[in-house]
Amino acid sequence: MRDERASAIGRNGAGGPGGGLLRKGALLPIYFILPSVILIAFVNAYPFLSGLLYSIRDGTLLKPGSFVWFENYGRLLQMPEFWNALQFSVIFAFFGVVGSYLVGLGLALLLNKDMPGRGFFRVALLVPWVLPSVVSIVGWRWMIGSQDSFANTVLGWFGIEPILFLGTPNWAVFSVTLIKIWRSFPFMMISLLAAIQTINQELYESAHIDGANRWQSFRYITMPQLKTISVVCWILMTIWCFNDFDTIWLLTQGGPANATENLIVLAYKYTFTKNALGIGSAIAIVSLVLLMVLAVLLLRLQREDD
Amino acid sequence: MRSLRKQTWVKKNWHLSALMLVIVILVNLPVLLMVMNSFKTNTEIMTSSSFFPQRIQFENYVHVSERTKFWTQFKNSWIVAFYGTFFSIIVAAFAGYAISRFRGRILSLFSNSLLMLQMFPLILVLIPLFVLFRTLHMIDSHYPVIILYLTVHLPFAGWMYKGFFDSIPKDLEEAAWMDGCTRVGGFLRVVLPISGPGIAAVAIFSFLFSWNEYMIANVFLRNEEYMTIPVGLQMFMQQFSTDWGGLTAAATLAMIPVLIFFLFVQKYMIYGAVAGSVKG
Repeated sequence: MRDERASAIGRNGAGGPGGGLLRKGALLPIYFILPSVILIAFVNAYPFLSGLLYSIRDGTLLKPGSFVWFENYGRLLQMPEFWNALQFSVIFAFFGVVGSYLVGLGLALLLNKDMPGRGFFRVALLVPWVLPSVVSIVGWRWMIGSQDSFANTVLGWFGIEPILFLGTPNWAVFSVTLIKIWRSFPFMMISLLAAIQTINQELYESAHIDGANRWQSFRYITMPQLKTISVVCWILMTIWCFNDFDTIWLLTQGGPANATENLIVLAYKYTFTKNALGIGSAIAIVSLVLLMVLAVLLLRLQREDD
Repeated sequence: MRSLRKQTWVKKNWHLSALMLVIVILVNLPVLLMVMNSFKTNTEIMTSSSFFPQRIQFENYVHVSERTKFWTQFKNSWIVAFYGTFFSIIVAAFAGYAISRFRGRILSLFSNSLLMLQMFPLILVLIPLFVLFRTLHMIDSHYPVIILYLTVHLPFAGWMYKGFFDSIPKDLEEAAWMDGCTRVGGFLRVVLPISGPGIAAVAIFSFLFSWNEYMIANVFLRNEEYMTIPVGLQMFMQQFSTDWGGLTAAATLAMIPVLIFFLFVQKYMIYGAVAGSVKG
């Protein structure tokens, strides 16, 4: 069955357009990437171009509206909401990356040690990463969602007054970031663990003979070896935190009082609830530009260090 | 002397295991509490702070099965995840093979743009495509969702495939070409059949991504009949904010396929994540 299909496709490929042998050879890579290119053109290039177009018009979801050129961007810069969302995006991404990296690194170092049940621990610690966001949020909401939630019951045993973890601005920022770290650290953990396991053990042995203590081995052997993978993980996690919608939307929808509203949630609200396509698209375009600048900066930082 | 050292070594690591066990329980506490709640009655959930249910009962599961659209949405999730995965492993295999084996200006442009697409904000995709699919009357259809899942997952899947194909020696294909096999034939008959683990890893990631995805589904599937589980659960969370029994039962059911998939294939998965993260 598989062979039949394979040879059918094979024959098609060989008999496809292209004429002479040389020419066919030159076009061959194009055939391989063509399906992907079509999909990317439709799902990324087209939305990017029409997003640019929407962002200079005052349309709604129903009608395209007329050209207002840079008015949307101008309004954006004067909106306190926008600056607030930008500030939260940066805070959320910064603490999300730092938090998940530190937790992931700590657990990777622990898991690198030989111990009974290591395989089980490694798998069990990946659970927060593989669960659907909605399922995790149902669990977390039960834990911290209300005045008589589980967390507040536990705090009550120590005589601490109930805390509205999602209902007061500062606590909401804290909770949303903490849950993002919870959902993200497993990725850091397995990436770093894989890199730690490739480090040559002889390096540690010779350092030990030279009288290096544990901290020195970690600082001068482990950390430099982890640098490349760390930078890749930071870049990816920065992108993922900056683009996060699920965690925030499902927990607080950006509230209370817009305290946990990032640029993505703001763009979503303007587009789908306030029906202001122009502003929504302008926010989305600004987010893309900011992310690209950030990624280029992080990459350059890495190259300079090398 | 030697045996003494070994003994302390073993003892020490049991301490470490105990520490890890505590960490694992703390990390998974929200999930464990949720599962426990699904076996309690609503009165017990609200009044008792005990971890285990007094008596295990399946009332919530019966309620979810009979009174909500849960199983319809379960089926929708399967449809979307199955087709998303199926097309993803085919399209990405060709893309991954191309960036692994061919060189040239177009190819480097292609592989670089796959990397850049990682940072493309989904919201920028959703706004114009929502407008487009609405004019085409394709809201509440699974087609847009499948196409988007396939494409959004493409950069990651393509780079993962590239990692696998890079590790397969070129000699194998070259031998096949000598025997009169075309380049495409060599790929399909020689490279793909021995890339089982690679295909499995891409398939797992693609399935989990599609099964778990919320944002795209939330924009394109607005009718309860067509919703996937994440969107359905979210509706449930808003509508029945006090029915913790039903909500936790539905959430527990939603995570079972994920956990089964994950437990069987976590080795591939870890490999895939690492390959993907190192390369892309």
